[in-house]
Amino acid sequence: MAKEIGADRLGDLYIDGGKVRRRREWRGLADTMYDYSRWLGIMATLGKFVMKPRNVKAMFRYRWMANYLAVPMMVDRHTQGLRGEYLRICHEEQDLVIKDVAKLLDSLFRGDRRIGNDTEFSKKVVLVDENEMTAVMMGFPTLKCLSRETPSTYVSVLLNQHAAEHYIDVAQEFGLAGDVCPMPEAEAGVSIDDDAPVLGACAIQCNTTCDGSLLGNGVISRRLEKEDGIPVFQLAAPLRHREDDVQEYAAQEIRNAIAFIEKHTGVKWDWKAYFECARRVNYATRCRQEWLEMNRTPWPQVFGSNLALYTETNYMAICGKVPEFERADRRITKLARQAYEKRKMAAKEYRHRAIVWGVQSHFYMDFLVWLLNCWGIVPLTDMLSMVSTRELKEEDTPENRETAIYDMAWLTENMIMRNRTHGGYRVLLDELWEFTQQFNADMVILWEHMSCKALTGMHGMFEDRARDLGIHLVWVDHDLFDPRIISRQGVRDQINNYMRTVMREEPLDPSLEVLHDEESW
Amino acid sequence: MSKPVKILLKLLLVALGLFAVTFTVYILNLDMKLTAAIEPFLQKHYDTIERNRHL
Amino acid sequence: MRDLKHLIFFEDLLQEANNRLIQQAQQEGDVCVAYVCENTPEPLLNLPGTFSTRLRAPRTGSMEIGTYYLTSFLCEYTRALLERAVEGGYNFADCIITPDGCSMMNRCVENMELLKALGAGKDKFFFEYMEIPMKSDDNGLNLYKLQCTNHILNPLRDNYGIDVSDAAIRRAVAEHNRVCELIRAIGDFRKEEKPRITGYEFHVITLATYVAPKRMLIPLLEETLEELKTREPDPVNPFRARVMVVGSEVDDIDFIKLVENSGAFVCADRFCYGSLPGRDPIVLNDEEDALTQICRAYMERGQCPRYMNTAKMDARRTYVNAMAKEYGADGIIYEQMKFCDPWAYEKMLGSHILREEFGYPVLAVDRPYAIASSGQMRTRVQAFVESIEIKTIQRGGNNG
Repeated sequence: MAKEIGADRLGDLYIDGGKVRRRREWRGLADTMYDYSRWLGIMATLGKFVMKPRNVKAMFRYRWMANYLAVPMMVDRHTQGLRGEYLRICHEEQDLVIKDVAKLLDSLFRGDRRIGNDTEFSKKVVLVDENEMTAVMMGFPTLKCLSRETPSTYVSVLLNQHAAEHYIDVAQEFGLAGDVCPMPEAEAGVSIDDDAPVLGACAIQCNTTCDGSLLGNGVISRRLEKEDGIPVFQLAAPLRHREDDVQEYAAQEIRNAIAFIEKHTGVKWDWKAYFECARRVNYATRCRQEWLEMNRTPWPQVFGSNLALYTETNYMAICGKVPEFERADRRITKLARQAYEKRKMAAKEYRHRAIVWGVQSHFYMDFLVWLLNCWGIVPLTDMLSMVSTRELKEEDTPENRETAIYDMAWLTENMIMRNRTHGGYRVLLDELWEFTQQFNADMVILWEHMSCKALTGMHGMFEDRARDLGIHLVWVDHDLFDPRIISRQGVRDQINNYMRTVMREEPLDPSLEVLHDEESW
Repeated sequence: MSKPVKILLKLLLVALGLFAVTFTVYILNLDMKLTAAIEPFLQKHYDTIERNRHL
Repeated sequence: MRDLKHLIFFEDLLQEANNRLIQQAQQEGDVCVAYVCENTPEPLLNLPGTFSTRLRAPRTGSMEIGTYYLTSFLCEYTRALLERAVEGGYNFADCIITPDGCSMMNRCVENMELLKALGAGKDKFFFEYMEIPMKSDDNGLNLYKLQCTNHILNPLRDNYGIDVSDAAIRRAVAEHNRVCELIRAIGDFRKEEKPRITGYEFHVITLATYVAPKRMLIPLLEETLEELKTREPDPVNPFRARVMVVGSEVDDIDFIKLVENSGAFVCADRFCYGSLPGRDPIVLNDEEDALTQICRAYMERGQCPRYMNTAKMDARRTYVNAMAKEYGADGIIYEQMKFCDPWAYEKMLGSHILREEFGYPVLAVDRPYAIASSGQMRTRVQAFVESIEIKTIQRGGNNG
C-alpha cells in the first residue's frame, strides 16, 4: 500500500475466481482521499438515479441494467496504479461519462412506453445508433438524441465483460452465424429479445461502423418500424471517405437526414446551435492534438484508456452538444500541461513506447493500463483516437452553412474506428507506420478482433510491413464483446508470451501477469 | 461549552462517523461486494420476465 | 435426357479462369476487364473493345497463401481469389474494377494490389475501387453515375482508348440484353413440370456468360435454345421437390449438382453469378442517357444485402417470393458462404420471413467455397426434400 507508483503488487487486489476485488488501492493519503471523494460523487450520481421509481422499474425490466451495479468497479479498473494528474485526468473523464450515461438512461426510461411513457417527451426524442457520429443532431438543441444500444451493449460490456453473452446467444438461436462481429450481433440480440426501450419520434440509423452494423440495423429497424411504429432513416456514410467523389453523396445524405428529423419532430434546424457545437468540436480537436503532441515526447500524459475511452465518447457520442465536455477538456489539458512541465511519469518505468492499433477488446479496455503497470509498455495512442483533425467552420455565414453540411458529412464518414477500418488500405496500413515514426514508438500492439474482416483482411500485410521496418508487432487476438472466445487472461498471455520469449523481459509487476478473473466484472 | 460549539462538535462527530463508515465501505470495496451478491438474484428475475421474442 | 451439344464446351470454359475464349478475345485485341462483384454494372465492362470476366478460382486446393494474408476469418471466396492471384492465375486481366461493397472483397483486391499479384508486365494495368450506393434513391443514383464515370469509363478511356460514349454504351447494353434474353428463354424451361433443363446445366451455361466474352457465346446460346425447344424431358421426373436457391455467390457448379443429386430440382437461382436478377435485360429509352438508365436498373433491381433502406430490405424478400411462385418452387434454400457477413444476416432474416410470413419450407445452410461432395450438405438437402414431400402429402390429406 503505497504512494509511490509501482510499489504495490496490484495483482494482490484480485480474488481468484471472484467477481470483485479484495479491496481498493491505497495510493498514499492525498490520492486515496481524492479517489474516495470521487467515489462519493459517483455514489451520489447513482443514488440520484435510483431515487426515481421509474429507473428502479427499468432496473427490474431490462437485463442489461444489472451491469450498472458494476459502475464503481469500472472506474477502479481504469484507475489502477494511477496517481497524481493521471488519476485526476481519469476521474475527470470517467465521472463525467458516468453522469452523461446516467442522464441518457434517465431520458430513455422517461420516454419508454414500458416505463415512464412520457409521450410528450418521446415526441422530442430521436434515436441514434451507438456506432454513429451524432453530427446530424448538432443543430437540434431542443431535441433529445438518445442511443439505446450505447447503454444496453456498449457501456454494459465496459462494465461487465459478460454483459453481451446472453444477447449474442439469442441472436445465434435465431440463426445468425457465430462468426459475425459480436457488437451488431449483440445489438440485434437485444432487439430480438425484446429488451430495448421503446420510444422516439423517429430513428436515424447509420451504416457505420461496418457491414455488420449496416446489416444488424436491418434486424433492429424491422422491429422499430413495423412493430413500434417509429420511422427510420438509414443514413449512408460512404466507405471510401478519403475520395473527393463521394463527398457530395455524403453531404446529400446529411441534408436528407435533417429533413427527415424536421418532418417527424416538427422542429427546425438551428444554425446558431450548430455553430456553437462546431466550436466545441474544434476545441476538443485542438485539445486532443495537444495531448497527442505531448505523447510524441518522452513524457506522454493523456494516453491509454484515458485517451481512448474519452475520445470515443467526446468525439462520437457528444460531438460538441454537451458544454460540460468542453469544461472537462479544459481541465484535462491543464492537468496534462502541469504534469508535462514537471516531466511526470505514470509508471515507475517506461520500457516500451507502443502504438495500439486495431479494434480494442471492449470487454477488456483496462488492458491499456495493465500494459503500463505490468510490463511498462506505454500505449501512446490507439487507432480509435486517431480520428479527424479537420477544423469545422464556426462562423455562421451563408457560405459556411453550405460548408457545414460537408463538415457534418465528413465527421459521419470519419466515425471512430471506421475511419481506419474502411477507406482503403492507406488509412489502416500505411498510416500506422507513419504514426509509429511520429510517436517514436518501438512497438505496435495490434488488436486483432477476429470477427472484424476489414481488419483481419490486412493481417498478412501488417506482418510483412512490420518485418520490413523492424518494428515489434505483437498480435492480440480477441472477439470484442465475447470473452468466452478469448478471455482476459488469454489476451494478457499473448503479451506475456511475447515479452518473455521475444523481448526476454521480466514484468514490472509480476503479480499482474496471471490473474484468474474469468468471473470478474 | 457554548451551544454553537456543542452543535458544531456534534456535527463534527456525525461527519467523522459518516466518514468512517463510508471510507470503510470504500477501501474494503464493500459496495461492490454487496452488488456482486445481489446480481445473481436479478439475473434469475430477468429469466422470469415474459418477452415478445422474435426477429 | 439427351446431352446438350455445347454443355461440355461451357463446362470446359469453367475449368480455368483464363479460358480459351478469353485468350481468343485478347488475341483479337480486346481488353479484359476483371471484376468480382455483381454491383459493378456489367454492360460498362463490355464496351466495344472490352469484355468482362467475373473472377473465379476453379479447382482451388490449398489456400495457404490467401489465408496467411487474409486469415481464416475471411470467406473462402476471397481467399481462393487471392491465392490464385498470387499464383499468377489472373495475369491475363488488363485491369480490375471492384466496388467497396463488402469489406472482404475490398481487402482481397487491395491485397492483390499491394502484392502486385496482377498486371505483371502490363504497363496499362489499373486497379479501381468504386463506392456504390447503399440505398436505392436519387442520391444513390447520382453517386452510382459519378462512380461509374470516374472508376470505370474514364480509366478505360484514358488507359486503353476505349470509346465510352453513349452510343458505345448502348451497343454494349444491346449485346448484354441479347445474352440476357437467351438466358431467360433457356431458364424458362425450368418452369415446366418435367423440366427440359436441369438446374446444374442452367448454372453452367449462366456461369459461362459471366466469365467469357459475351459476343462469342451468343451463337452457342442461340443453338442451345433451339436444341432445348425439341429436347425431350426424362419420362419419369428424377426430382422429388423443386427448390429455389437464394444467397451469396455460387460459382461452384458442384453445389447445384449436389443439391440436384439429393433429389431437389433447382428451378430458380437467386444468387450472385446466377440469373436472377443478374440476367434481367436492361430496357433503354431514348429520353435519358444510357449510363443513368443502367445505374438505375442496377440500383433498383440489386438484391445485395448491403442495400439497407427499408423498402429495399422488404423488397428482397418479396422478390424471393415472387420468383419462387413464378418458377414453381416448393421450398427455398438460403445459402451463404461461410464467414460472409452480409448474407449471414440476410439468411437469418430472409429464411425467417419466407418461412413465417410467406409459408415456404426453408433450409438455411452455410457452405465452403468449393463444396466437393460434402456428405453433410447432401444429408441436409435430402432431409429437406423429405420434409417438403411430407408437407405436400399432409396438405393433400387435409384437402381430402
